Amino acid sequence: MALLPTNPQWRGLVLLAIIIVVLGVLPWTVNNYWLRIATGALMWAGLACSWNMLGGYAGYINFGQSAFFGLGAYVTAFLMGDPFGLPFSATIPAGMVVTALFAVIIGAPTLRLRGAYFAIATWAFAEVLIQFASAMDFTGGIGGIGLPPYLNERFFYFAMFGTAALAYFLTWALFERSRFGLKVKALRDHEPAAEAMGINTALVKLQTFVLSAVTASVFGAIFAYWVTFINPKSVFGGDITDQMVVMVLLGGLGTLWGPAIGGVGLFVVNRLIWMYWGDTAFYIAILGTAIVLVVLFLPNGIAGLFARRKNDALDKVMDKLVGTGAGGHP
Amino acid sequence: MAPIDRSFSRRRFLGGSAMAITASALGTPFVRTARAQAATFKAGVITSLSGENILGGNLTKQGYDLWADAINAKGGVEVAGDRFKVEMFYGDDQSSPATGADAAERLIVQNGVDVLFGPYTSGSTIAVQPICQKYQVPMISGSAESPNVWKAKPEFNFGIIPAVDTTSGLSLGVLAKLSKPAAKTVAVISVNEPFSKETGEGFRDGAKAAGLEVVTYELVPPEGDLTPVISKIAALNPDVIAVGGHEEVLLNVVKTSKSLNYRPKALIMHYGITNPAFAQALGADADGTTGVVVWLPTVSYKDDVFGTAKDFAQMAQKKLGGEPDYTAAACAASGLVLGDALKRLGKKPALTPENRVALKDAIAETDIQTFYGPIKFEKDGPHYHDNIQPVPVLVQIQGGKTVAVGPKEAAAADYIYPLPAWK
Amino acid sequence: MDLFLQTLLNGLLIGGVIATFTIAFQLAFGVLHVIDFAVGGWVVLGGYLGYYITAWLGLDGFIAIPLAFVLFGTLGYLIGPVLYNVRNSRTARPELMALALSFGLFTLLRGGMLTAWGFNTRNVTTTLSGESLAIGPITVPLIRVVAAAFAAAIAGGLFLFLYRTRYGLAIRATAENRHNAALMGVNIGRLSANVYGLYAGITAMAGVLMGAIYSVNPEVGLRYTLFAFFVAVLAGLGSVEGALVAALLLGVIEAFVSTYVGASYSLLAIFTTLFLVLLVSPRGILRRGL
Repeated sequence: MALLPTNPQWRGLVLLAIIIVVLGVLPWTVNNYWLRIATGALMWAGLACSWNMLGGYAGYINFGQSAFFGLGAYVTAFLMGDPFGLPFSATIPAGMVVTALFAVIIGAPTLRLRGAYFAIATWAFAEVLIQFASAMDFTGGIGGIGLPPYLNERFFYFAMFGTAALAYFLTWALFERSRFGLKVKALRDHEPAAEAMGINTALVKLQTFVLSAVTASVFGAIFAYWVTFINPKSVFGGDITDQMVVMVLLGGLGTLWGPAIGGVGLFVVNRLIWMYWGDTAFYIAILGTAIVLVVLFLPNGIAGLFARRKNDALDKVMDKLVGTGAGGHP
Repeated sequence: MAPIDRSFSRRRFLGGSAMAITASALGTPFVRTARAQAATFKAGVITSLSGENILGGNLTKQGYDLWADAINAKGGVEVAGDRFKVEMFYGDDQSSPATGADAAERLIVQNGVDVLFGPYTSGSTIAVQPICQKYQVPMISGSAESPNVWKAKPEFNFGIIPAVDTTSGLSLGVLAKLSKPAAKTVAVISVNEPFSKETGEGFRDGAKAAGLEVVTYELVPPEGDLTPVISKIAALNPDVIAVGGHEEVLLNVVKTSKSLNYRPKALIMHYGITNPAFAQALGADADGTTGVVVWLPTVSYKDDVFGTAKDFAQMAQKKLGGEPDYTAAACAASGLVLGDALKRLGKKPALTPENRVALKDAIAETDIQTFYGPIKFEKDGPHYHDNIQPVPVLVQIQGGKTVAVGPKEAAAADYIYPLPAWK
Repeated sequence: MDLFLQTLLNGLLIGGVIATFTIAFQLAFGVLHVIDFAVGGWVVLGGYLGYYITAWLGLDGFIAIPLAFVLFGTLGYLIGPVLYNVRNSRTARPELMALALSFGLFTLLRGGMLTAWGFNTRNVTTTLSGESLAIGPITVPLIRVVAAAFAAAIAGGLFLFLYRTRYGLAIRATAENRHNAALMGVNIGRLSANVYGLYAGITAMAGVLMGAIYSVNPEVGLRYTLFAFFVAVLAGLGSVEGALVAALLLGVIEAFVSTYVGASYSLLAIFTTLFLVLLVSPRGILRRGL
């Protein structure tokens, strides 16, 4: 730590630069297996970030986030296959548009629900999509869809890295550094009061919901192309959402870096346990124990340990550099 | 919040340890463990050791392990006059295709395996195929019965069990011939999950080919309740109910139809009834259930690693505490295919990338007799690289035991038809 | 017509079966305000107890029912305070941390059961398993009638307990407003532990019945969690009488869609129904949810 500048502002920026450089050269320093793990870790960090936009900043717990991940995956798989045969890059915007449409149609009525009702309504929506994709023929039914394999591991690494970086930048710019973010946090902390202040809460919630959904769909699209085969359970499954939720809670709900810490941490720990105890089901019990212990002993998430730093360092430097400050901190 | 003076030291400690963990994690890939032992062939097993397909996943693992144990007991695989032991590595696919792909990459890159033994599920198998292609590592699948697996003509993947569309379809024709008076109508229940659905479709299409009338084809979700479906079928009263599904649903079909006091003249299921847990769970209610298998301990085949099919069954019985089913047998036979191909290839471990490609070519030329039956892979067509030599055998649970009832030349007991009403 | 009546009966009985593991869940939510992921775990534990009672001791599966209540009720009583403390901790979002805790417990249970008991699907045998009663053209599966009667008895018993005893009054007061109840001298912590124990015990009892009606393996738990959540929300969270209505509604929809439209659309239909009902009536079908 002594190597880093003592000034907290610059220290944060240097840390960020180090992280970016390390992630940038990683594909040339590790073998393909670790690169694959890193790709997965970046995807989960990004998915956790997408969930955190609505769950952490707006306080709406979405149990159906996998629906949007799956929509992105299915649109890409569908458009890359016969008879369309579109290139991968063209399917991503298509997936984003489809997901945004779904998010508006689903979000507008469900965002009126509160707390557990919203959570379970969104879960129901994801289940509807699983059942729909399983029952229909054009989705390949339960047999799923295969995609043309593209075996360039570095491509997928940088696709996930770029998307995740963009997701975190958007989170930082929109939720930490703009009036929009203040509105979102205001409605999280007290919705009626926010409304009384003249905030159009319905609109703000919907915007957040759509942003969160579209982010997840891009990861879904890359995931489908990366894994080359999807079926309803593998991209719409409730366990995908469960993991995002647990990652955010472990990392730190409503914080910028919490989801990254939780996402990378949980995924890598899961894979390590799986590597060493993977020939039995015991690792599931270990994972459960780990979650219980974190809830009991780190209730504010891992980011909570660094809570006092929240408003200094990186934020202030970025503030100066980009100059999008929303006018100080509450 | 902790007092400020404490939190400083704690933060520092945490920061320091976080750095240390990161450093060691990043360093791990560069650390090479010394190889002290003699050269071995390394084989990776990818299968479902957790998640919804855990039962079948363990069956495949046990099958592959049986071969490794048997061949290592003989001193290893014979190559150019020497014997080399086989070392097994495992990767759980958590019943998910994406994790299956991770597992394949890990086994190939981290463990440096020479060859893979394939997953239990077809979905995982399809997701792993491109990785085998990328690293040019052959994969022998002792399970994965979906015809979809072979559609893309996977160059490096080989299947020991005939795709289910070839077996379930034929079985209804055999059943129709065995039944007196001959069965004329059939209702198909097909669980909407991979493999089960293809089995059900095989039953449906096979029934038509055999001249049976399909009165209804019911696609049911695996989580659904079966009473409405069974009531509907009872009202149509077909001679035969054919079910494509895994263990849990098969059990529930029997329980639900008994609780509705409805019994068709024959109940045929493709997979799972040969698992001893099925008859054990249902007791007397399991009796009369018909199944389709591609292998039984009573078949007359043999080879020089396992001996006869019966010897294999005894070895499995001793190791696993139960009679092996055809998935375990096919997985063990996968090992025989590997052993034979390595012997013909004549290259010592560890295999170079060129040797692995040559191994793939050697496997493609397989033409051997094993305790499991003849093995030879298709060179073209919709079942490319699948072994469709085995013929389906109808079995029936009689007095808690699985016995072969058809076709005539394989039968060890008479087929009980029609089934008596529930007592 | 016969098939119609049979389908109606099937649907009502499916509803009864679903209700067995939802009613107590509602009570626990009403008092603890925790969406408990572990509900499916308790069901599976009960099912395994039933299996071991029948397979090892050769006894009737029904004997496992009171045992399940005592055994898992005690376990729930021990876990309850932990969940309560997390739910009432001073973190930013205690309800979410409680949810995460229950998810961790559920995962722990699942992994533990897979490791300890393996992966075979097991069956619970009872004297009434497979027995049926013919009423005219209709066949009535008796074991499901037992489950429906069990659900009715639990609902009735809880009703009497909640509305006719002093302790029930304390529970209702806590469900309504925990601060006021605490001020009135209710020991909320201990009451929560008792309620969680009661809920775990009842749910495990239902699990024995699920093992007798369907079958049990460590992986089926999530399915019960899903149904419990959905029925609870359709009912209005915390509403015990709503749970009965919602379970019956879902059961009837599942039966009719399976028989007359196609079984592959049954779950699509019930999840869509749930979603639509929530939009029209955000606090559940009887509009009585918390």
